Amino acid sequence: MSVLTPAEAAFSPQEAARVDAQVDWVVIPLFVVLLGSVFAFQFALLVGDWDYWIDWRDRRYWPLVTPLVLVILPGVFGYAFWKLLRIPLGATLSIIGLTLTGWVSRYLNFHEFAGFPMNMVLPSTFIGVGLLIDCTLLLTRSWFFTGIFAGFLSGLLLYPMNWPLLAPFMVPVEMHGTLMTVADVMGFEYIRTAMPEYVRIIEQSTLRTFGDAVTPLTAVFAGFLTILSLWFWAWVGSLGVKAVWLRKVV
Amino acid sequence: MNLFAKLFAVIQGLIVVLVTFSATPTYAHGEKAQQPALRMRTVHWFDVDLSTRKLDVNQILVVKGTFVPSLSWPEHVASIEDTAYLNVGVPGPSFVRLDSRVNGVPTIRSSSYKRGEQYNFEITLKARTPGRYHLHPIINVLDAGPMIGPGIWVEVGGDPAAFENSIKTLFGQTLDLETHGFANAASWSAVWVVLGLVWFGYWLTKVPLILPRFRRASALGENADDMITTRDRQAALVILVVTLMLIAGGFFYATERWPVTTPLQTGKIKTPPLKMAPSPVLVTMDDARYRIPGRSFRIELTVSNSGKSPLSVGEFASGGLRFINSAVLKVTPKDQDDLVATDALRVEGGSINPGETKKIVVYADDAMWETQRMTTMIASPDAVVAGMLFFFDAQGRRYPVEISGPMIPLFGG
Repeated sequence: MSVLTPAEAAFSPQEAARVDAQVDWVVIPLFVVLLGSVFAFQFALLVGDWDYWIDWRDRRYWPLVTPLVLVILPGVFGYAFWKLLRIPLGATLSIIGLTLTGWVSRYLNFHEFAGFPMNMVLPSTFIGVGLLIDCTLLLTRSWFFTGIFAGFLSGLLLYPMNWPLLAPFMVPVEMHGTLMTVADVMGFEYIRTAMPEYVRIIEQSTLRTFGDAVTPLTAVFAGFLTILSLWFWAWVGSLGVKAVWLRKVV
Repeated sequence: MNLFAKLFAVIQGLIVVLVTFSATPTYAHGEKAQQPALRMRTVHWFDVDLSTRKLDVNQILVVKGTFVPSLSWPEHVASIEDTAYLNVGVPGPSFVRLDSRVNGVPTIRSSSYKRGEQYNFEITLKARTPGRYHLHPIINVLDAGPMIGPGIWVEVGGDPAAFENSIKTLFGQTLDLETHGFANAASWSAVWVVLGLVWFGYWLTKVPLILPRFRRASALGENADDMITTRDRQAALVILVVTLMLIAGGFFYATERWPVTTPLQTGKIKTPPLKMAPSPVLVTMDDARYRIPGRSFRIELTVSNSGKSPLSVGEFASGGLRFINSAVLKVTPKDQDDLVATDALRVEGGSINPGETKKIVVYADDAMWETQRMTTMIASPDAVVAGMLFFFDAQGRRYPVEISGPMIPLFGG
């Protein structure tokens, strides 16, 4: 004997389908806004200036810190979406939300309000990370392998993914007898009263093995760490979907 | 909507309007908020001035002055002798900084400055945004924060749209720093957004999505993977391949278009102190008392003059406040907010003759101690004060000397 759902019990099948669709059109946009807001807040706390300013995105810390932080919400919501709905969209959707709020914030806060040129504060692009995670999850149907492949690729490829955006700012310039990049010149010229030059963390640490290969080495290291990060946050997501209150609400 | 709800809505609206329109602009950079001990005992600024007080967008403004890191720098504050950076306090990038030098050395990078030594600085700015700004030189000290110099009002007029700022790369290419790289970055970002939306859109074609899939996933349990169709797998494979190709393509495109790049540059530069002629003045601060009710600072000093001309005290400067002995020095305030008391320094003991060592008493009396919130110096953890005394000889030559020592507050009388 089949049990009718409340929607089926109250409406005809066509009406029930329409109600289900209406739920989608209300919930999905709200969810994108919610994810974007939460992600923007979390990203501001944990990555912050590293991604706000063009002269902060160095070869060492930015590609290391960013993917570790970037997979937190994709891990949590990716797991929830997959477990509850079997939809591999959590990572892409949360990063689309981050991207949209990032652009709005940079334009309104940094450009319009604070007066910095948009090219100095433009957001990086991370949607590729979301797609790597979601598509790998769907193809492997395993968080273990998603961590191995997509987690590793997210850390490894974050820098090349953003290189088309960053490269024009890394062209060398001479300024008063000092070698600088275009990004450094912008950081010097556009005054940030509360941000002296020494605050930037540029290539500090000792990851300099294998000759000159700073970026590849950092990328591989970031890849390994991102595997662990993605697994951990997917595990946190698994705890979240077990929450009894959530199941009652849904 | 009942009457109370309407009334409540009207009151709410009024509050919003009143709060919005009663807000007044603020211009200060928090110098008054800084602890007096920090203001008095970190960086002494003097001769700070601007090349002009009024200019248009694209015109040049030069900020010049001198600073002396205090010999009495508090032990509990990170030292300027480690890492520091000469900066400018203005609201946002209303100017762009074209050059910045300390004792002639470009200070694009951070540096360090020795206590008790003198440094002349010069910052060249180009006006970017019209407005009226209170401009301060600042020295940011690593782990200690900003040490703010005196502020001077400057007015920028003109058309912000006319602002130009370009640089030449080492390859001879001229770049507009206001727009360089933006269209390129926005285009790449847009491509990624489109790809993300394609993936999102693929799933939206399956609407109704949430409730039916939740019911089905719950019903299937361990076998929920059966909900994934072959078409889903094909779509994921295509998107995955396109993603990897876009990453690789973008990377190769960028390395082809900008083949020579340099990593972000940083470092620290050395700034030698100014070479100064030996000073003929030797000063010891014997006693310092601040009388709170009278807003009066009384300092007993022992002064030795090894020079060839009598010396008189013309100015005492501390914590950004200047107290002038009008009998020796005539000073006109730069603007209405210049923290200078043009006739507030009284000296008992007269001038110090050549070869003489004598005790003098200096009184710096002015309401600025109160209005600039310097009276909280009595709450300092070590109750030590410092400042610069400026002696003048008969020819008008100036001899700056730092004095410092313990301070006793007087609460009455």
